[in-house]
Amino acid sequence: MGLRSYVITRILLTIPTLLLLLSMVFLVMRVLPGDPVALHFEKKASQSQMDEMRHILGLDKPLWGQYADYILGLVDVNYFLAHGYPNLGKSMQTYEEVGGQVFSAFPATLELAIYSMIIACMIGILLGVVASKSYNSVLDHAIRGFGTVTYAIPVFFLGIVFQLIFGVYLHWLPTGLRINPNITPPTTITGLYTIDSLLEGNFTKFLESLKALVLPSLTLGLILSGIFIRLTRTNMLETLRLDFVTAAKARGLRETTVTYGYALRNAFLPILTMMGLQFALLLGGAILTETTFSWPGLGRYIVTRINFRDYTAIQGAVVMFGVFVALVSLVVDILYAYFDPRIRL
Amino acid sequence: MSSSKTKRSMLARLIPGLGSLAKRGPSGWMVITGLVIVLALVVMTALGPWLTPYDPIKHHGPIRAAPSLQYPMGTNHLGQDMLSRTLTGGSIMLQVSALSVLICFLIGVPLGLFSSYVGGMLDSTVSLVIDAVYAFPGLVIAIAIAAMLGTGVINMALSIAVVYIPSYFRIIRSQVLSIKEFAYVEAAKASGAKWHTILSRYIFPNVIPSIVVVATVNFADAVLTAAGLTFIGLGVTKDVPDWGWDLTDGRNYLSTGAWWIITFPGLMIILLALGFTLVGEGLSELLNPKLQR
Amino acid sequence: MAGKIELAIVALVLIGIIVASATMYYTTTVISNLSSTSTDVSILKDGVLNLTSRMTDLATIMGSLATSVNMSTGAISSLESRLAEIELSLAARETLIVGTTDSVELTLDPAQAYDYFGWCILQQIGSTLVSVKPGSATGADFQGDLALNWSVNGNLDVWDFTLRPGIMLPDGTEFNATHVKYSFDRAIALEPSIPEGAPAGLGYDLIINRTEVVSKYQVRFHLNFAFSAFLGIVACRASTIVDPTYAPIAQVNYTEGGPRASTPAAFVGPYVLSKWSRVGGSDQEIRLDSNNNYWNLVSGYPKVKHVIFRFYSDAASLRLAIESGDVDMAFRQVSPTDVLDLQNNPNLRTWWGSGAFIQYLVFQEKRAPFNDSRVRMAVAAALNRSAVCQTVFLGLSKPLYSIIPPGMLGHTEAFKELGDSNYTLTRSLLAQLGYNENNKLTFKLWYESSGHYPSSADQALLYKEALEASGVISVTLDHADWASYRANRNNEIMDAYVYGWYPDYVDPDDYSFLYWASWLHTNYQNATQVALYDQARATTNLTLRAELYDRIDEMAVQQSSVVPLYVSSAWAVTKPSIYGVYLDITQDMRYWLISR
Repeated sequence: MGLRSYVITRILLTIPTLLLLLSMVFLVMRVLPGDPVALHFEKKASQSQMDEMRHILGLDKPLWGQYADYILGLVDVNYFLAHGYPNLGKSMQTYEEVGGQVFSAFPATLELAIYSMIIACMIGILLGVVASKSYNSVLDHAIRGFGTVTYAIPVFFLGIVFQLIFGVYLHWLPTGLRINPNITPPTTITGLYTIDSLLEGNFTKFLESLKALVLPSLTLGLILSGIFIRLTRTNMLETLRLDFVTAAKARGLRETTVTYGYALRNAFLPILTMMGLQFALLLGGAILTETTFSWPGLGRYIVTRINFRDYTAIQGAVVMFGVFVALVSLVVDILYAYFDPRIRL
Repeated sequence: MSSSKTKRSMLARLIPGLGSLAKRGPSGWMVITGLVIVLALVVMTALGPWLTPYDPIKHHGPIRAAPSLQYPMGTNHLGQDMLSRTLTGGSIMLQVSALSVLICFLIGVPLGLFSSYVGGMLDSTVSLVIDAVYAFPGLVIAIAIAAMLGTGVINMALSIAVVYIPSYFRIIRSQVLSIKEFAYVEAAKASGAKWHTILSRYIFPNVIPSIVVVATVNFADAVLTAAGLTFIGLGVTKDVPDWGWDLTDGRNYLSTGAWWIITFPGLMIILLALGFTLVGEGLSELLNPKLQR
Repeated sequence: MAGKIELAIVALVLIGIIVASATMYYTTTVISNLSSTSTDVSILKDGVLNLTSRMTDLATIMGSLATSVNMSTGAISSLESRLAEIELSLAARETLIVGTTDSVELTLDPAQAYDYFGWCILQQIGSTLVSVKPGSATGADFQGDLALNWSVNGNLDVWDFTLRPGIMLPDGTEFNATHVKYSFDRAIALEPSIPEGAPAGLGYDLIINRTEVVSKYQVRFHLNFAFSAFLGIVACRASTIVDPTYAPIAQVNYTEGGPRASTPAAFVGPYVLSKWSRVGGSDQEIRLDSNNNYWNLVSGYPKVKHVIFRFYSDAASLRLAIESGDVDMAFRQVSPTDVLDLQNNPNLRTWWGSGAFIQYLVFQEKRAPFNDSRVRMAVAAALNRSAVCQTVFLGLSKPLYSIIPPGMLGHTEAFKELGDSNYTLTRSLLAQLGYNENNKLTFKLWYESSGHYPSSADQALLYKEALEASGVISVTLDHADWASYRANRNNEIMDAYVYGWYPDYVDPDDYSFLYWASWLHTNYQNATQVALYDQARATTNLTLRAELYDRIDEMAVQQSSVVPLYVSSAWAVTKPSIYGVYLDITQDMRYWLISR
């Protein structure tokens, strides 16, 4: 099968998965005990007040009516063009547009995920390659040990240790939030503070947002690097044993060229898959990190909203997350198919 | 073969089996170390109630007292002895992770085997559903289960299992898809063997190594996820000692200088996760044919 | 491979050293060769030495010139930085950065806002006719804000207010009685379409029959019944006076940037809301600037011209923020451990005040064994409140023996009759029903686990311990997140559960009814208590009111449907240069009184 047909097939396959995901979250939310209507009233509420609330939230419609609104809203192109975000309904707790809420919370998580990924990959791949080159030596064992131990540390443990050391005792870095309280955040273009401040041309803001990013991404990045260390090491060990490597060395190519130019390039595919996998997981799983560092991202959004049984908000967040996971795995699969023709068969 | 004979022969194979592990180099040592760590922690937790100097729940001592002779690991914010809590606190985590692995195994493995063996429409549908579950944020699932079914060890295990089954499924599926094409499987099919015979006799044994590796990763992750669930309030009640609770509470007191509340249970959790990871790492290296030389 | 690079670097350095030494050697050889022509060279040398000494003199002169220039530029730059510092400290004195874990729930419209933080911001930007004096212990010391004075008739159902003249509303008109009538009419009119709002929750339409404009500065409220605590209603945020130009009586749901969001322009409070940004449905930044239209500018308030709120995810992060100096003030919520710890920090100052938040134990009377009051009393007697207050809250909460907190009218120590850890009473009561060591009373105690109440899990553990120490009770703990907890409460499936209460207005009227509140779903009714409560509402005679609440408490002890547990206190942490922080019974933080 050619690359094009593979891509098209893959994209087509994503749609039913997403649809299933949307429907699942719709059902799960409706099945949960706890009534978003009742949760609006902290104290007393008469029946007429509850009925009015139910009507305001659109919950007096039949179930399939709510479902139809939900799905139709997602494909409402006019709304998307007018607002810049899809119609995910109105939050049942704050009446704000869920699309707007999710789109404002998502860049924070995205920024954190990107920087954590960068750190994890840099540390992981480099150390993995070094370990594979010195197989069975003390360095190898040390690096493997490091990789295994870091992944076993709970993220909020490491987080608060870093906060205490670098934030309180040494006072080098801020302990939370995306930017120093005294500075107004850069104007939103992408939502990523580092990019936006550069686009604005404001170097101070760039530095401040970078400083705020250091601790959380270091925490997540260190923990994830363990996976990449082990994965890179295993794949490099396999590849280094292959004939073409011996052949290249026999031809007199330098070590560095052989290692990075040939071996790593061939070993890279599984690492790429893992990168995609971890990135997708980071987007939805950064809840603990976001709570520890007061990071206003999608994870915290989900946690606060679910306590209010805010159906539309959770649906919107899960849709956002699902679409991104699907996108990332799609890109990874396509890259994989591009580099390895065997997959397309 | 009578069961006692099978047991004995398995056991008889196990001990020299461990010995042969040692001969396989550093990977073998990894597996042994991991197993020793896990076993030690299990034994410690099991014997804990008899080893503890104080009742881990009763608050005897002064609040947040530093480690001393009387309280070797200090006391926590309720005055409970940390040594006793560290010795006995692993039971919830061990139960939750063991249970979650069991559930994954009982559901994920047969599902993966059957679906990928049968193939066709069924396989596509099941894969679709599994992919959708995979894209579902684990936290939402955990909260949903806790809200619908209540809290407790079983429901925590269920939340973790639901998040992990897709991984089992995918790994088994990729393995079965390639094993399916092997010559001897074709031969078995041609000679009229039933599907359940083929699955159990030919395919399943080949899949076991990967399952074991995933199971160990599952264990390690389950331990950490159980701590995470307790952190957001979905754990067990406080009348049972639990490392997860110490970690959650200890975080609040670290800034006051009471490092001992979070450190000792934290180290235990790290050790437990480490043990499982070592076993998994070592096994996956041992079983990886491409690394044989 | 790593070794190769190192080798390369070492090689490079070696080469560098070799080249340098070779050059030096060559130079010295050349010079020594040259010195064979000694005399010419020596004359040349002397000349050169002369030149060099002249040059050194020149250099010294230039050096001293440079130093003096340096010194003057240094002096100028230090002056500049001093100026900048002074400017900064002046500006800083004008700005207060507050860290908090709260967030505005929905809106700042008085017809809809019903959450603590929404009301907090509303108080900074809006004004009411009357308010509670800062530092009040009873919550009943009222002062006139937009009203000069007030009076009430004998039946307590007609209230007159004389308004303060000369206040300009944001749209330029002068504040008068029509605006008061408009504000209250609006609140009542919007009740049906905003069922979750404060006017609906407090029952404005049930309390107020109509608002009458008597004259330009005279407004009269006709109530539906005698209500002695009406001033409390007038002082609460739902009664904030709005400017009709900016606050239409149109049902508009809050959307960021939508019409409702412009309502903040409708008030005459100490501050103006100049910036409000939300991310993902939670506040990110709120900025208040001093309001030029503030009716009380002559008083010199607000002292601090700019207030910036920063929002943190939990108490641990907030503590780190105040400790590292990222914020000037931390208020709600710093945990008890942290605030006691920070008390010893010389770089910070802690403030203390009385609290109004209470927690209580509720029994489900539809489920055996709690359908028998003796069982309920027995369990209440076995509680150990001081253990919880000391261990879990480190003494920052006080045991509560009446549903009305201390300091307020009607507070008693009624539940002390049952005592704490009074196991003899517990056993004797339970023995009457056949419970003993071999036949223990068993039930499930529920608590809320998503952080809605403080330290719920620890509290539950201690309650269980205290109850089981009696020897005749066996308790199983269970928990649910807030939404499920509420659902369980309404479905009446929990044996006993721990609940909490924040007042809407500080008056025993807003506490006493908790004993029989229908929405607690205890299935407990008592017409006598209700009658006493209504009587207390209908009189301003403080002694009589106190007596009535006293009797309600006594009856409550005998029934023990709702058992008060503790009352919290309030605290704030600030930098030492800050003063004017009032923590009184109203739980309001009046930021305009703060200065630094």
